[in-house]
Amino acid sequence: MIEYLADLTTPISMGILLGGLYAVIALGLSLVFGVMKLINVAHGDLVILGSYLAYAILTILGMDPIIGLVIGVPVLFVLGFGIQKYLLNRAFHVSMEAPLIIAFGLSIIIQNLVQLIWSPLSRGLTTSYSLASIGAGPLHLPLIYVIDFAVALLVMLILSQFMKRTYLGKAINASSQDSRAAQLMGINTERMYAFAFAISMAITAIAGVFLGLTFPFTPQSGVSFLVIAFGVVILGGLGSILGTFVGGIILGLAQTLSAYYFGAATQMLAVYVIVFIILAVRPQGIFGR
Amino acid sequence: MKLTLPRLSRGLIIAVVLIVVLALLPVIGAPKSWLLYIFLFFLYLAMANMWNLLAGYSGLISLCQAAFIGLAGYTLAITTWLGYPFYVGILGGAIVCGIFALLISYPVFRLAGIYFAIGTLVVPEALRMVFFLWRPVGGELHGGGAGYMVKGVTAISMSEIYWFALIIGIGSVILMRMILRSKLGLGLAAIRDNTDTAASSGVDVFRIKLNVFIIGAVVTGLAGAIFYVYQGYIEPISAYNIRWTMTMILATVIGGLRTIEGPIIGTIIAVFLHFLLARYAGISLLVQGVILVMVMLLVPQGIVGYTRETRIYRKLSQLFSWRRGNSP
Repeated sequence: MIEYLADLTTPISMGILLGGLYAVIALGLSLVFGVMKLINVAHGDLVILGSYLAYAILTILGMDPIIGLVIGVPVLFVLGFGIQKYLLNRAFHVSMEAPLIIAFGLSIIIQNLVQLIWSPLSRGLTTSYSLASIGAGPLHLPLIYVIDFAVALLVMLILSQFMKRTYLGKAINASSQDSRAAQLMGINTERMYAFAFAISMAITAIAGVFLGLTFPFTPQSGVSFLVIAFGVVILGGLGSILGTFVGGIILGLAQTLSAYYFGAATQMLAVYVIVFIILAVRPQGIFGR
Repeated sequence: MKLTLPRLSRGLIIAVVLIVVLALLPVIGAPKSWLLYIFLFFLYLAMANMWNLLAGYSGLISLCQAAFIGLAGYTLAITTWLGYPFYVGILGGAIVCGIFALLISYPVFRLAGIYFAIGTLVVPEALRMVFFLWRPVGGELHGGGAGYMVKGVTAISMSEIYWFALIIGIGSVILMRMILRSKLGLGLAAIRDNTDTAASSGVDVFRIKLNVFIIGAVVTGLAGAIFYVYQGYIEPISAYNIRWTMTMILATVIGGLRTIEGPIIGTIIAVFLHFLLARYAGISLLVQGVILVMVMLLVPQGIVGYTRETRIYRKLSQLFSWRRGNSP
C-alpha cells in the first residue's frame, strides 16, 4: 500500500505543478470572459502564438525565452489592444453572435498564419533548464514544472493586486459590472475593454512561453489548450482567480493520473471527458453560485 | 376564366428547370470536374442550411458539426466493413448522428448562448482522439492511426453519388422552408424574439432546440456520409476537422445568416473559393478566415441581407412577380 502511494506521489505532484501552468493559460480567457462576457475561442491559438513568438526570439535573437518576454509581452499587449479596438468592440454592436464568429475567424487566421511561417512541425523551446530535473527524496520532478508553478503564483498575485489597487483595474471591473453606470462616471468602457483584452494577451504571452518550455507545440495545439483553459474556467467558476487556480490543479491532476493509469495517449481525452461531465452536472462551476 | 398563379411562381418554375438541368448533367456528359464542383456544392449547401437553422434561427452556434460528419463517415465505413451495402451505411450514419446529438444534448444544452459554442467545440476534438485509439473492426494498420477504406464503393459511379448529393442538397432547402413554416418554426421565432416570454407562454424551449439540433445532426450526417462514399476512405484528422465547420459558417455568413436564400448564394461562393484556393493549400483557410472576419464586420447581414436593403432586391422581386403587377 505504501509502495503504491509512493508510486503515485510523482504523478500527483506533477499534476499539481502542471495545474499552475494551466491556471496561467486560463487566466487570460477568464479575464476576457469576466469583463466582456465573450468566450474567446481564439485564446488557445493566441497562447500558441505566444509560444511561437518566444521560439522566434530564441532562434533568431538567441535570447532566453523568459528574458524574451520583454519583447513578447508588449507585442501581444499591443496586438490584443488592436484586436479589441478594431474588431471586437465593433462586433459587439453588430449582433449577439458576431464577436464569437469573429473570434472563430481569428482562431483560424492565427493557426494558419503560424503554420505558414513556422511550418506544421512540432517545436519546443529548448533551454538548459527546460530539461533539468530536481530531486527531493524519492521524488524527481522536472525543474520547469516547478518554475511553472512559481510563475503561476506570481502572475495571479500581480493580477489580483492590479485589479484591486490600480485605477485601471478598478475601472475595468466597473465596466464589467455595469457598463452604463461606469460610462456615467466618466469611464470610457470600450477603452477599458481594449485594456482588458490587452492585459489578457500579456498574460497569454507569459503562458505561451512557459507552455513552450514545458511541452512541444504545433500550430494545431491551440484547440486543446483552449479546451483546457475553458475547463479550468468552468471548474473554478468565473472571475475567481483562486477558483481558476484550483481548477487548473484539478485538470492537471486529471491529466497526469489518467496518463499514469491508462497510458499517455488517453491524457487529453480524460481532460475532455471531465470538462464535459462538469458541463452536464454543474455548468456554473464548482465555486460558482 | 382567370388563371391565378401563386406569387413567385416564375421563381418556382426557374428553380424546377434549374434542378432538372442539374440532375441531367451526368447523363448529358458534363465534364467530370463540373460534376465534382456541383456535388460539393450540394453537400456544403445541406451543411450550411443546417448551420443556418441552428445558428441563425435557433441561436445555437454549434461548432461540433464536424463531429456528425466524422461519425456518419465512420458508421458508413464500418457498416461496409461488416458487409452491408453502402446505402445502409448512409442511413446508419444519419441514425448514429441523431442518437449522438440526443446524447450530447443534455450536457451542451445546459450551456446558455455563448457557452454552448465552446461546449460543442470539445466534441469533435474528443471524438478524434477516441477514433485514434479505438479500432472497432479490422486489424491494426501499419504505422498506427485509425483510417478505413470504405469498402465496395469503387463500383458506384460518380453520377449515382452526384444524385445522392443533389437530393440531400435540394431536400435541405425544402426542409428549411417546411420547418420555418411549421409549428417548430413558429416556436423558434418566439424563442428568438424573447426566450422568457416564449417559455412562459407554453413554448417548450428545450424540446424545440433539441428537435432542431437533432434535425441538424441527421442532415449533416447524411451529407457527410455521402461525401465519404465519394472519398472512399476516412481517417480521424480530416473527418473531425474544423474545416467542415469553417465552410458551413463561411457559406452561411457570406450569403446571409437568418435568410433562406443566404446559404445557397454563400455556398456557391464558398465552393468557388474552395477551388480557387485549392492550389494554395497553405493559405486557403487563412484567406477564408480573413474573409469571414471582414464580412462579419462590414456586411454582417450577408449578401442576401444586403441586397434586400438596396434597390437590387426590389428590382429582382419585381421581376419575379411581374405577372401580379401587370394584372389588375
